[in-house]
Amino acid sequence: MNAIKAIYNFIVGDMIILIGVVVTVLVLALINNVSALAPLRAIEGVLLVVAVLGVLSATLLREALGKR
Amino acid sequence: MQWAVLIAAFLASAVEFVEAFTIVLVVGITINWRSSLAGAFAATATLAAIVATLGVALVRFVPIDYLRLVVGVILILFGLKWIKKAILRYSGLKALHDEEAIFEETRAELRARGEEVAPRFEPFGVALSYKAVLLEGLEVAFIVITFGSSSATNVCNNTCGITSAAIGATIAGILVILAGIIIRAPLTRVPENTLKFIVGIMLTTFGTFWAGEGFGVAWPYADAFILVLAVLYLLASFILVMILRQSKQRRVVGVSMPKDATEVSEQEVLH
Repeated sequence: MNAIKAIYNFIVGDMIILIGVVVTVLVLALINNVSALAPLRAIEGVLLVVAVLGVLSATLLREALGKR
Repeated sequence: MQWAVLIAAFLASAVEFVEAFTIVLVVGITINWRSSLAGAFAATATLAAIVATLGVALVRFVPIDYLRLVVGVILILFGLKWIKKAILRYSGLKALHDEEAIFEETRAELRARGEEVAPRFEPFGVALSYKAVLLEGLEVAFIVITFGSSSATNVCNNTCGITSAAIGATIAGILVILAGIIIRAPLTRVPENTLKFIVGIMLTTFGTFWAGEGFGVAWPYADAFILVLAVLYLLASFILVMILRQSKQRRVVGVSMPKDATEVSEQEVLH
């Protein structure tokens, strides 16, 4: 358990960032592999950038609300 | 010698070398040079072992897209963590005097007293440097092999093409390292938090770019889009800093208002 915690702290140390990035990767993997979602492949890059900015905003918002 | 292949490989490899060297440089300045160079040398050794084992077959056996995706995602995670810390410090929500700053202060004090502190290995720095050099080095190897093989003609065979491409890539690598050594000194004068903020932006930028490539995203203007991504993240970060600062100021005013009101009423009672 300590080893997992150490790896988690080493790589990210923030649950919102970790979950946000993992969900983004899963969504992009789905878009890449499910043929019904093929039209979305054209905006994969935009989705990735928006998701990264969204994750950053979400984690900062949590910190700001937490300080309150 | 095929000059067209040499120049093409030089230009393409220079871009990859700049990407790898930028990360080695910032890890060296913000964490320490021992960790940065250890990661870079370990990656070079791994790369040499892979190229020596697989040779030209490297292009077939190494899944470069999966590698880009994995390295890209890890860089996004690292980068977001650094940007978050830097933004919280800029906006005043996080004190500048955290453990890391205290450690740096102690180190500076020891230095001032003439006691030298041996730079320790930071796994984070070693890993960052290692991944960047390995990924970009593999891309350079791909460039050399594909450019060299595809240019084989009656006059110049496969080996001749690869040799020309390898010479172009080597010249690019040497020039990038020399340029990096020259700009290293001015970079050390940039404040610590600013550097960490820039590193966070760069890691997230490279991470997004590589993860996107791993998913098959064709970025507009190819590698030049890295600059667009960096500017985008910089702007977004500045906006977030401003929003957080305003929100903090509003809270401070909100907290001090009732206190002031109480003070006034107390004074009125006394008078």
